[in-house]
Amino acid sequence: MTPGALLSLAAISLVAGLVSGLWFSRTWLAFTLAGAATGLGAALSVLLGATDWEWRSAFSLGGEFVHLRLDGVSAMFLALLCVVGGAGAVYAREYWSEEHYPASAPRGRCWWSALMLSMGLVLTISNGLHFLIAWELFAVSAFFLIRLDRQRPEVRAAGWLYLAASHAGTVCLFAFFSLLAARTGSWELGPMREQTALAPLFWIALAGFGVKAGVFPLHVWLPSAHANAPSHVSAIMSGVAIKMGVYGIVRFSGWLPVPHAAGWVVTGLGATSALLGIAFAFAQNDFKRLLAYCSVENVGIILIGVGAALLAVTHGDATWGRLALAGALLHVWNHGAFKALLFFGAGSVLHATGTREMSKLGGLWRTMPWTTGLFALGSIAVSGLPPLNGLVSEWLVYLGLFDAAVSGGPAAWAAMPAAIMLAMAGALAMASFAKAGAMIFLGAPRTQVAAHAHECGMGMRAPMLTLAGLCVVIGLAPILFWPVVARAVGSWRPAWVTMEAPVPLVTLGSVHAGLAVLVSAAAAWLWRMAHVNGLRRGLTWDCGYATPSARMQYTSASFGGIVSGWFRWVLQPERKMRRPRGHFPAEAIRLERVPETVLERILGPVSAVVIQASSSVRRLQHGRLQFYILYVVAGLIALGLLVLLGGAP
Amino acid sequence: MSGGTLNLLIGLAMGLNLLALGSSRLPSLIRAMSLQGVFLGVMPLLMEYETLNWRVVAVALATMVGKGVLIPGLLRRAMRAANIEREIEPFISFVPSLLLGAGGTIAAVALARALPLLPEHAGTLLVPGAIASILTGFILLIGRAKAISQVCGYLILENGIYLFGLLLIHSTPLLVESGILLDVTVGVFVIGIIVDRIQRAFDSLDTRKLTTLRE
Repeated sequence: MTPGALLSLAAISLVAGLVSGLWFSRTWLAFTLAGAATGLGAALSVLLGATDWEWRSAFSLGGEFVHLRLDGVSAMFLALLCVVGGAGAVYAREYWSEEHYPASAPRGRCWWSALMLSMGLVLTISNGLHFLIAWELFAVSAFFLIRLDRQRPEVRAAGWLYLAASHAGTVCLFAFFSLLAARTGSWELGPMREQTALAPLFWIALAGFGVKAGVFPLHVWLPSAHANAPSHVSAIMSGVAIKMGVYGIVRFSGWLPVPHAAGWVVTGLGATSALLGIAFAFAQNDFKRLLAYCSVENVGIILIGVGAALLAVTHGDATWGRLALAGALLHVWNHGAFKALLFFGAGSVLHATGTREMSKLGGLWRTMPWTTGLFALGSIAVSGLPPLNGLVSEWLVYLGLFDAAVSGGPAAWAAMPAAIMLAMAGALAMASFAKAGAMIFLGAPRTQVAAHAHECGMGMRAPMLTLAGLCVVIGLAPILFWPVVARAVGSWRPAWVTMEAPVPLVTLGSVHAGLAVLVSAAAAWLWRMAHVNGLRRGLTWDCGYATPSARMQYTSASFGGIVSGWFRWVLQPERKMRRPRGHFPAEAIRLERVPETVLERILGPVSAVVIQASSSVRRLQHGRLQFYILYVVAGLIALGLLVLLGGAP
Repeated sequence: MSGGTLNLLIGLAMGLNLLALGSSRLPSLIRAMSLQGVFLGVMPLLMEYETLNWRVVAVALATMVGKGVLIPGLLRRAMRAANIEREIEPFISFVPSLLLGAGGTIAAVALARALPLLPEHAGTLLVPGAIASILTGFILLIGRAKAISQVCGYLILENGIYLFGLLLIHSTPLLVESGILLDVTVGVFVIGIIVDRIQRAFDSLDTRKLTTLRE
């Protein structure tokens, strides 16, 4: 079947899912999976084939003809959407089930279909006006999904913050598309790299899509939205929805000419996001917030790759630009897979314990072995450790940066610091996930809820296993995915297309495979030894305390104390402390909270000033009719004077 | 004869403006306004006495009846129903409003000189009279607290606009004239109802008390 037929099947299935979701959860699941499968089929047939799919219709909507297009770049994002969307639908059936949430489960199913459909439209539409409509639908469906559990005030607050931030971005997109249409004379989108006068529009697009992508200073909505949404929604938001922002940046930096400084700015934004995002992640105590900030970091990594590619465009060097862009695009897939896996794991913990605070958890590996194992696998992937997929895409970005640094020229001055910051971010990511894994799953249970946790059912485990499988496959056989990524790079810059995989990637694949064999052999040997000799359980070293309790374990704040200290200038932690005093100290307290620095220290005061200024203007609105008439008279007299004195012809 | 009489009438109307500004009793305010309405009704007959037709006569009669009898009657009824006689605490008290009105009238005459008018209008007081009436209407609207005084201010403002309209008597169709008149009458009806409602809801016609409704 052609991509067009598959896409229309997918759209029909999703619409059917949207309608049936209100009543029949099983039918909804069938339709959504069918939609995801056909959509994936369409994306893969474009990625593995040689030609793009394009469809111009005679049907007009809002005075513009419908124009759809699926090329390498959009097909990559579409494939990710279908995988995560399908996995999330399976997960949601058990996680947000009818019996636990009788009111919001049907709503959740409908909005889920609407979100998948609208994101699919954003990816395929090739007309500025229709793009804006689809973009708005996407933003609104995500808003309703975030607010599924709307009885809780913090969920409502997170939803409003998301909606406000999202619309601030949409304003920029309105400006971008209208200016583009005004300068080209048509709403049609497509490659127009020759029209160099369009280059400055890139900045507006960067701001608009940057908000959605959660780039560092624009990420204010992201942590609270991801933390407060139901976990399957967090997974698709973090795995796919923020990638729509990345898609916008990649798409329009590919189609339009870019300003000379674009590469520098995007690389700089990416490096900042990567480093500060992971610094904030490390300081969190709420594990979903940690994952959310980690998404900021990963968007940073993707943008470093995109920025390096833009630098390569400016300086005309395809060899390293291709590597960096391939790394960025592959990281879109990888981050989508492992972050959705991690959020599913987080949801499983939340489902079992009802708390997001790591200081209340611990020791879950005994009761939740599957979740522990899968979360550990996701952590290895997200930290960029071999032999999983996180390293593969970061490796490509590193290769691009190193080649740029070695090739000399001005781009080296951007590539070297970016590589260093990427390495620091990677180290911090590892530390963050060591902390999260240790706090949640290892040690002894810190509270009763943690002690009575239970493993999730098959409905939640199956999608996690699928995503974990994807992480392993990309990690062990990166070479299989090179043609797909090369196809997308070719759509971005036709001149850069090459089907030959870079040698370091081939090496990495074989090293990973070897490592995997070694690790499996070692694990099998350990398993056997444990079975043959039996396990001997004993107390851990308890520092000589006579009666150690579970509360004497490291807390997440104490684990992260030193590193949080390095980033105190941006984290601005709030501390409350009462030291133990005297020989028989009665009570001691140490509380630490990391605020949302950008939101609370910058945006909060600024909006307070704006509100104050507006309320002083509101004093004119006092309800006295006489004064209102006076305003009119004063206005009339002023106009008359203007005409008499200045404006008379 | 027409120019002189017309100017005399307009001059009287301008005098009535000052009377309206200076009087604290509502009945005299209404009387000044209704007399002004009658003068205005006569004007088209004077301007067009050579080529009188049924159209002009109809407009003149309707104006005289509407502004001289109908609207003042409605206002007197509202006044009696609300049981008030005087404007007690105006925002701008009577002497300052008189001074403002007089200043406004002088300014209007001066301004009319500066305006590029047609030669046949340059000699009449039509334009200064119109501007002065509009200013008077505004001063009443801004300076008075009782709703009925404000209605009178609104009607005097409308009289000023009517005077401007007379400049165009040749080119304004009947329909527009009668439309304006109908508008005013309906406006006064509505205001009469509102006055009644304000009276019942707040037990007063003081519009300052409406500030509680501002949001």
